[in-house]
Amino acid sequence: MQTLIFGSYVLIWPVLTLGVLALICRAVLRDMRVARAEKRDLV
Amino acid sequence: MNTNELYQFSTLTVLLLLFAFYGGTYLLTLKIRKKKEGTDAFMVSNHRVGFGIGSASMTATWIWAASFYAAATSGYTYGVSGPLHYGFWGALMILFIYPFGRRFRKLAPNAHTLGELIHARHGSSSQLILAFSNVLGSIISLMVNFTAAGALVSVLSPLSFQVGVIIAGLGVLGYTLWSGFRASVLTDFAQLVALMAIAIVIIPAVLFAMGGPSELVAGLDNLTAEQANLFSMEAILNQGAPFFVAVLAYAIGNQTISQRLFAVNEEHIKPTFITATVGYGAIVIGLGMIGLMALTLGVEPLNGDMNNLIPQMVSSYLPPVFIALFFILVIGSLSSTADSDLSALSAIMMADVYGKNLAKGKADPARMLLIGRLTMIVATVAGIVFASFSLDILVMLVFVGALWGAIVFPVIASCFWSRVTNSAFTTSVIVAMLLFCVARFELITMTGAAGLIFELLASLGGGVIIGLMAFGFLGRTVGAVAGTLAFIAMLILATGFLRDYTVLLASLTAYGASTLVCTVMSLLSKERFDFDTIKEKVGDYDHPQDQTATTESVIPGGVASQQ
Repeated sequence: MQTLIFGSYVLIWPVLTLGVLALICRAVLRDMRVARAEKRDLV
Repeated sequence: MNTNELYQFSTLTVLLLLFAFYGGTYLLTLKIRKKKEGTDAFMVSNHRVGFGIGSASMTATWIWAASFYAAATSGYTYGVSGPLHYGFWGALMILFIYPFGRRFRKLAPNAHTLGELIHARHGSSSQLILAFSNVLGSIISLMVNFTAAGALVSVLSPLSFQVGVIIAGLGVLGYTLWSGFRASVLTDFAQLVALMAIAIVIIPAVLFAMGGPSELVAGLDNLTAEQANLFSMEAILNQGAPFFVAVLAYAIGNQTISQRLFAVNEEHIKPTFITATVGYGAIVIGLGMIGLMALTLGVEPLNGDMNNLIPQMVSSYLPPVFIALFFILVIGSLSSTADSDLSALSAIMMADVYGKNLAKGKADPARMLLIGRLTMIVATVAGIVFASFSLDILVMLVFVGALWGAIVFPVIASCFWSRVTNSAFTTSVIVAMLLFCVARFELITMTGAAGLIFELLASLGGGVIIGLMAFGFLGRTVGAVAGTLAFIAMLILATGFLRDYTVLLASLTAYGASTLVCTVMSLLSKERFDFDTIKEKVGDYDHPQDQTATTESVIPGGVASQQ
């Protein structure tokens, strides 16, 4: 049980990082689509 | 397990890695390069940065090279709770600023720096105090990041420290110089993707290479009782509390954050800053876990240098390709922060110094851009020189931290309370800095009445921090109640005790003293400020005619006396 708890305590952070990375990549693709539709630069 | 030396790359490999990183980043910026940049785009990307790019940029900017090293050091020193006490509070710095950021944006939708807003609210002296603290902070940050590049190159290759510093400095300047903030936010996204991908791979790779979670649990015997405790008081008092105190100060005092607050699409400020909070916390706490792993294994840092912990663990357990990935991770994190510092410094010199003080409303956009780019060159040279001399920045850091703490209440109060005056702002910051020095350098003995007075001011400071945090999210009434309760709790808990924790006492004193002086002077004032005048005074430098037309229509002086 302790092994599971400590393993999760360390590995939860890369999992969270992966979630945020996916969210940001999706959002950037949407930003690009919106910028293209509005005929302006992404940044 | 201990290793006597770190893995060494050949000179050619390191040069190729650096060339690939900075060359690739430079090529990326060519895609957005315009022959004629506008000042608004150069400083804040026309206030239209989307949620994705904005959150990537905020996360990448807030993660600097020291984040990994310090988080791992915290894990190694304080055990199980150590990485949390570094990463969690650092993440909250991003979270707690956004409610105030929305107010800044409402007051001055076209601003480029927080200093411009304060200039419109109070005038030059308050604005220049803020700008000065921003400049000092960014120069220190540049120097620390270039130093980290030099140190990394020198420990992992035969190249010297100076070569690493110079390559990093020129590399960052090369891709930021022309397009400024636009280049910074675009490359932040690419750098963050690389940084996150590497963190996702490296953390589990080290854990399983060292024997997996069971080996980690077996090594818990190496920890002291405090290190094994998730709620360790030692970790809270030495690592968590000083960081907690700095949560609002770092956010208010850092132009890299306010620049993003003014750049992101207004309706995206909240999701952008929440995402960056989670992203920063996950990456930094995760890499801090490598310090905890080292502690459970009984690893001694090479040459006693805690900064060697992560490279040592990666070197010991993973093949060279992972060390190359770690190298890119650190170079990416330090470059993303350094380019943001260059953009921040250029915006301060362009808007706060030239636009508001030298040009006095008649700013020439072309000259402004030239000033911005020259600032970047000068700042890079200064950063390289300071880093090469390996200057002791502790005293500078101490002063900047105190200055940021001292300006928190005056800046926030100035944006919500119409009675705050320029002299209240300026005097409160100066008094707070003086009292901070007395406490921090123990210029008087902290016993008897003196100790009590400083603990009283520090308790007030603690109440102010909690009160402002609650106010940001939950409004005036909850903020006042939370602040008062925190003040009373601090009085009970801190009296006769806080004087033994000099750093904490001094930092809290800066908050408490500036709040007290600013509040008393403001209450004595008969002035009332009309906040609607701010947006008329802070405008777009590319279209000065529009700005002149709107400025002429507002009340001269901006102060509408209601009495």
